[in-house]
Amino acid sequence: MFSKLAIRNVRRSFRDYGIYFLTLTFGVCLFYTFNAIEGQGAMAYLAQREHPAVSAIMMLVDIFSVFVAVVLACLILYANRFLLRRRKRELGTYLLLGLSQMQVSKLLFLETGVIGLVSLGAGLALGVLASLGLSALTLSMFQIDMAGMLGLTFSVKAAGKTLLSFGLIFLLVMVFSGIRVSRSRLIDLIYSQRKNEVLKVRSLTWSAVQLVAGVLCLAAAYATLLTFGMAIAVAVLPICIPMLALGTAGTLLIFRSLSGFVMKFVQGRPNLYYRELNLFTLRQWLSKVHTTYLAQTVVCILLLLAIGITASSVGLNNTIASNSGYQAPFDITAQNLSGDEELVDFERVLNEAGFDTKEKLAWSCTAVFYYNDPQVTGLENASAALRVSDYDALRLRQGKPAYSGPLPCKADNLNEELTTGSLGLSYVLIPDEMAQQLSPSRQVWSADYLADKEETEAEIMDTIRSLDVPFASWITTRLNIYQDLMGSKILALFLGLYLGFTFLLAAAAVLALQQLSQAADNAGRYALLRKLGAEEKLVARSATQQVALAFLLPLALALLHSVVGMKAANDLIATAGKVDSVASSAVTALVLVVVYGGYFLATALACRRMAKSTQ
Amino acid sequence: MEEILQVTDLKRVYGKGGAVTRALNGVSLSLKAGEFVGVMGPSGSGKTTLLNCISTLDRPTSGSIVVDGHKLSQLNGKQLAKFRRERLGFIFQDCNLLDTLTAGENIALALSILKAPAGEIPGRVWEIAELLGIGDCLNKYPYQMSGGQQQRCAAARAMVTHPSLVLADEPTGALDSKSARLLLERLEVLNRDLGATILMVTHDAFTASCCGRVVFLRDGQIFLELERGGSDRRSFFQNIIRVVTEMGGEMADVF
Repeated sequence: MFSKLAIRNVRRSFRDYGIYFLTLTFGVCLFYTFNAIEGQGAMAYLAQREHPAVSAIMMLVDIFSVFVAVVLACLILYANRFLLRRRKRELGTYLLLGLSQMQVSKLLFLETGVIGLVSLGAGLALGVLASLGLSALTLSMFQIDMAGMLGLTFSVKAAGKTLLSFGLIFLLVMVFSGIRVSRSRLIDLIYSQRKNEVLKVRSLTWSAVQLVAGVLCLAAAYATLLTFGMAIAVAVLPICIPMLALGTAGTLLIFRSLSGFVMKFVQGRPNLYYRELNLFTLRQWLSKVHTTYLAQTVVCILLLLAIGITASSVGLNNTIASNSGYQAPFDITAQNLSGDEELVDFERVLNEAGFDTKEKLAWSCTAVFYYNDPQVTGLENASAALRVSDYDALRLRQGKPAYSGPLPCKADNLNEELTTGSLGLSYVLIPDEMAQQLSPSRQVWSADYLADKEETEAEIMDTIRSLDVPFASWITTRLNIYQDLMGSKILALFLGLYLGFTFLLAAAAVLALQQLSQAADNAGRYALLRKLGAEEKLVARSATQQVALAFLLPLALALLHSVVGMKAANDLIATAGKVDSVASSAVTALVLVVVYGGYFLATALACRRMAKSTQ
Repeated sequence: MEEILQVTDLKRVYGKGGAVTRALNGVSLSLKAGEFVGVMGPSGSGKTTLLNCISTLDRPTSGSIVVDGHKLSQLNGKQLAKFRRERLGFIFQDCNLLDTLTAGENIALALSILKAPAGEIPGRVWEIAELLGIGDCLNKYPYQMSGGQQQRCAAARAMVTHPSLVLADEPTGALDSKSARLLLERLEVLNRDLGATILMVTHDAFTASCCGRVVFLRDGQIFLELERGGSDRRSFFQNIIRVVTEMGGEMADVF
């Protein structure tokens, strides 16, 4: 009988459970997706090659997962508390009818179980799809062709981890709701709706003062960040702590006072104030401020973290990406560092060892770096010298024009990509004939493969390893660099997205729950408006406007914070390489719109329905 | 005088099959402009159902209601909302002010909903508030005012739009006798000076005695109508008490 009642309760109160269910499903999906990355696209590629980054990423994901699970557990407990509060009367009725508290706890236990099972199923299904999306995203980031790595996969390990974590969370929720029921007194449950909310009256002038103080606090925090720059402002505690404190205080003061200030402003404009239900909507907002401003501040900070982390991880990822071509213009580069002792004919060595360079390589070139003698070249501050013909050969292969300029010339400012992997030399360009007067120091051999890159590379590496040559330990290949890059890119992107999504989810869910609980209180007010003759459309619009205010204000302030933050972060990252801020902002915006917008829509629709259903 | 309200053979049946309740069983009633009419009757006699039907919150099973020339059964949802805000004013038992708005804003909201020009709203609010003696509470929130002030504020909200018909459902029900008397006095002033047509449901004989005419309902039908005529309030009150006693012991609580 209890299970029947439990299932019926869940179905009937689906409206209340809707947001709860959505949050659980998203949480499960997020958790599964990031725990399943081992078997996904680019990660699978790295794992097959036993790249060390894989274990590092998996370890970090594990650590972060604990953190994420704690955040989700708090969120789910909060949501559950909200649901229980809404059902106080119903629970009181059960007790009044003679059910024991044990039995009511059991009922809640079953209800949580039903919801938990359904959301686990839905979340895992969604997670498998999200994994596919994430695979496609990571695969598209790399130039290596990895067709065939994309496909629907189900990670049993990740699913097991998800089941374990959420099973624990649900147990916790069940225990908590049981405790709440056994502790509550029947009289409080039955009369819960009769308790009036105490409205505090606030002076509007005081609001204006608070708003000004808040704006000043924020301005001071922004100025600190922009003057000192991200690196100093975050790392030096005597600067960092006051800055964060000012920023938080400013945000808090603005949320606390903004509605009062807007009220004062609008009251001076009768055409706006007395239009439709504006004065009602504004008063609703004002009356809720003292219960919501703290939550709004928290949501604003969570949003800032979400935006900041997502944008920086995507931005950092692009910075790393733009460094990749710089480092790997050719498939392979081998360096003979002891060129002063003996010069090697790379092609001959390889051919003799059984590697046919004519058949397997599309192109190869040996460039010789000489010791720079200032008395010959007339240029100091460079350790090596390079013949212009070698230089041109390397450039032409990359499709760049030959050098045309005065010789000799110091090449520091040319910032060229002459090798795969780092060269670590500063050199001067010299006319070919000048080389006769200099002694060789280093030989650099670069080549491009002709046929299948992976096979050729395996073959050439095997050949070289079987030989005892000095250059064997100075080989860098494009594939190696890509795999290293891939590791750091995935690390930055995955962990950033994981945390960013978690914070975003938490922020949106907290707001949605708060709005829904308020909408339930507002039902009576909407019924009255309707009796007074307000059109359905106007009432629904007022309900939507209230939700929009709650969702958009923290977002607006968080966006402002992150614009300033990203400006400072860009200045920092720009010292390493240029951040593609347009692309990273676009991705961030998309993620935000999808998750936050989804919650906003769901909440607005639920609130409209609640406003409507009280005839 | 023109007819503001014309109710003809109104029936409202709840339930189906064997278990039907005839809340209204053929009520006919008409109100002329400027009349102040009370509806009395024991619990379950159909008072509230009658009021709900007239106020368009409930739909009658049969019969017709015409308010100010508008036949209610022919209006759709949107027209009903328009009808409610333009022609009707409500005063409820539990005054039903919005607790988040000040008294002045509660009154102004009715005008906002009516789409009155913004410029004239503060003036009209002030005018009606003065008339009801709550001019000094306009900036107070409902919970800062006494029950009587709240109810007069609700009356002001109902009257500020100059509705054709004001419907009051036990307006004195939750008030002490002094506040009740003050409210009734004000309703009489509004009725006399502004020519407001008021239909008031009550089961308090004293409250009913300030009306010009009292209609007694029993078991969904009109039992009797009593005209005040030229008599003073005290003798009208005695007449009402007599009818109430005649109707049965159900209303012993009036004494």
